[in-house]
Amino acid sequence: MASIALSRVGKSFGTVSVLNEVDLAIEDGEFIVLVGPSGCGKSTLLRMIAGLEEITTGTLTIDGERVNERRPKDRDIAMVFQSYALYPHMSVADNMSYSLRLRRRSKEIIAQAVSAASAKLGLDPYLERRPKALSGGQRQRVAMGRAIVRKPKAFLFDEPLSNLDARLREQMRAEIKRMHGELGATSVYVTHDQIEAMTLASRIVAMNAGAVQQIGAPLDLYDRPANLFVAGFIGSPGMNFLEGRCEQGADTSAVVLPKGFRLPLPLRIPAADGEKVTLGIRPEHVTVDAQQGEIEAAVELVEPTGLGVILHLLVHGEPFKLFSTDRALIRSGARLRIGLPRERLHLFDQAGNRMAAL
Amino acid sequence: MSHPPTVQSPRTGKSALRRFVDAAEPWFYSAPVLVLILAVMLVPLILGLSYAFRDIQLLNPFSGGFVGLKHLQALSQDQAFYRALRNTLWWTGASVFLQFLFGLILALLLDKPFAGRGIAQALVFLPWAVPTFLAGLNWAWLFNPVIGPLPHWMAALGILSAPDNILADPHLAMWGPIIANVWWGIPFFAITLLAALQAIPRDLYEAAEIDGAGPLQRFVSITLPFLAPTIAITILLRTVWIANFADLIIVMTNGGPADRTQIVASYIFTQAFRRLDFGYASAIALVLLVLLLAYSMVIVIIRQRLIEKD
Ligand SMILES: Nc1ncnc2c1ncn2[C@@H]1O[C@H](COP(=O)(O)OP(=O)(O)O)[C@@H](O)[C@H]1O
Ligand SMILES: [Mg+2]
Repeated sequence: MASIALSRVGKSFGTVSVLNEVDLAIEDGEFIVLVGPSGCGKSTLLRMIAGLEEITTGTLTIDGERVNERRPKDRDIAMVFQSYALYPHMSVADNMSYSLRLRRRSKEIIAQAVSAASAKLGLDPYLERRPKALSGGQRQRVAMGRAIVRKPKAFLFDEPLSNLDARLREQMRAEIKRMHGELGATSVYVTHDQIEAMTLASRIVAMNAGAVQQIGAPLDLYDRPANLFVAGFIGSPGMNFLEGRCEQGADTSAVVLPKGFRLPLPLRIPAADGEKVTLGIRPEHVTVDAQQGEIEAAVELVEPTGLGVILHLLVHGEPFKLFSTDRALIRSGARLRIGLPRERLHLFDQAGNRMAAL
Repeated sequence: MSHPPTVQSPRTGKSALRRFVDAAEPWFYSAPVLVLILAVMLVPLILGLSYAFRDIQLLNPFSGGFVGLKHLQALSQDQAFYRALRNTLWWTGASVFLQFLFGLILALLLDKPFAGRGIAQALVFLPWAVPTFLAGLNWAWLFNPVIGPLPHWMAALGILSAPDNILADPHLAMWGPIIANVWWGIPFFAITLLAALQAIPRDLYEAAEIDGAGPLQRFVSITLPFLAPTIAITILLRTVWIANFADLIIVMTNGGPADRTQIVASYIFTQAFRRLDFGYASAIALVLLVLLLAYSMVIVIIRQRLIEKD
């Protein structure tokens, strides 16, 4: 168990900078999820914690000790790779015990650690098999088993579930969460899947283009996204955005949408008169109301999900999504009136940052 | 998918001729190729083997008769043949081992990224592109103290007591062709092993590094198992090939001094093209063929066992 701290950590490959000034303090026992689109530098950051990539600038400390120059094997961390990286010429048991054998632990300790891990992961029937004789999900478990037999200071996961099918992914997600509950080990988990991030994390680190966008509890990011990127990235289907101009009144403001539609707000927002602002609202927060709905919308496409229905609408010619559990809405080509509950609105300034809450 | 009821069972109502034609049809189609293969591969082989049982001497117009096992009997008494056999083991073993060792080291070096790696990889191929007899001549000159620097360097380093030609020294002569052969054969191992090395997933090394494996442990538990099949097949091929490979010896020492560098292949060459005794040469070739076949079978069986065990 350990705490990990990154302070102004940066990384460049040659002249190309892929990470800049990442600050992150991970407490003992936390489950941190790094989430962001492909190529934003999540893996690079994780590999720097593991010691597989050199740290160009800044400091990395584990348990308060600077470890920038320490080799991977001396950092006492375990890593689960996206490809699993199982040793193909070793049996499942040998794969799991490799690190202990290298550390010259006694036979009894090794046997005990392996059997404890394999019991936990349901791998007992496969201990003598080679990895190639296992299914994807079983390989994934072996990779996890290899990590837990060592009882490392921290676990690092690099998209460990992305090679599994949807059903298995769901199952393993729950299992990882349960295991973290049991072991309570500090974990850093990389994924591009925001559902995984929401369900697993004690705190999410949302990243884009090599920079941290927001750090916070999953529901914090969902309820109070710090900027347009986080607002759009977290949540599925993604948040709707409407661009407009701020119109300041005496005590309250309003947002004027391009087609001249005026949306009064219940309070005054900190923006100059005429400044560009972006309104955001999640599809599940949009209401349908034949009488009081303020905006007219045309239904373009209907996607039933079973739980509810996703409507693809056109609002003033712009695409707009609505999620509802009301099955009566499943009919294409209709026209609706929708409402935007003010307490559900997110407001972003010209630079895309969140404005004072409504 | 059931047959329509009107169709009769295909066997009934067919004449014997019809059935023969049906059975022979595929053979007729493949006949041209089969004939070609037989003509090109088997006929010369059988003809050559038949010489082993005939008295064929190019300068003797009355030779050509069938002599049964006479050549093989003579061979069993032939001390020069036994020496050639021992020399072959020595020549093949040392050449293959050193080629493999240096080829592996070179491959491991070329597998690491460094500036100018592309050029280095191309240069490694160079010896392979040199015709063998030119390579042999070159090395013979290099070992010649009159025109080559090597004897002087070796004497200066204390390896030789005086700058003499090792090709003329009965105890050292074999090292001349072996060194030339190693120089010439390294690229083969380096390139094939490099290809195999580059097919090893990088993240295995990273996983092992995190698991706490040092460079040697990573080599033993990841690199070697991945290379094993390539190593087995390349060593098998090279062993058979080098055991038959007399060019360098013929060019550099011609089997001398005092038959000290005579291997079976060069002995066959000497018997056939200097003594012009084709019958006896064929008998030796037959024995060499049987030995190499046996060796190949053993290796193939071992490889099969290893694969089954996996
Ligand atoms: N070894 C490398 N050399 C140069 N660029 C690299 C290297 N590794 C990663 N990158 C670049 O760094 C960026 C971040 O990569 P990565 O951390 O793998 O992204 P992610 O895991 O978030 O998808 C990418 O633009 C990638 O092209
Ligand atoms: Mg990645």
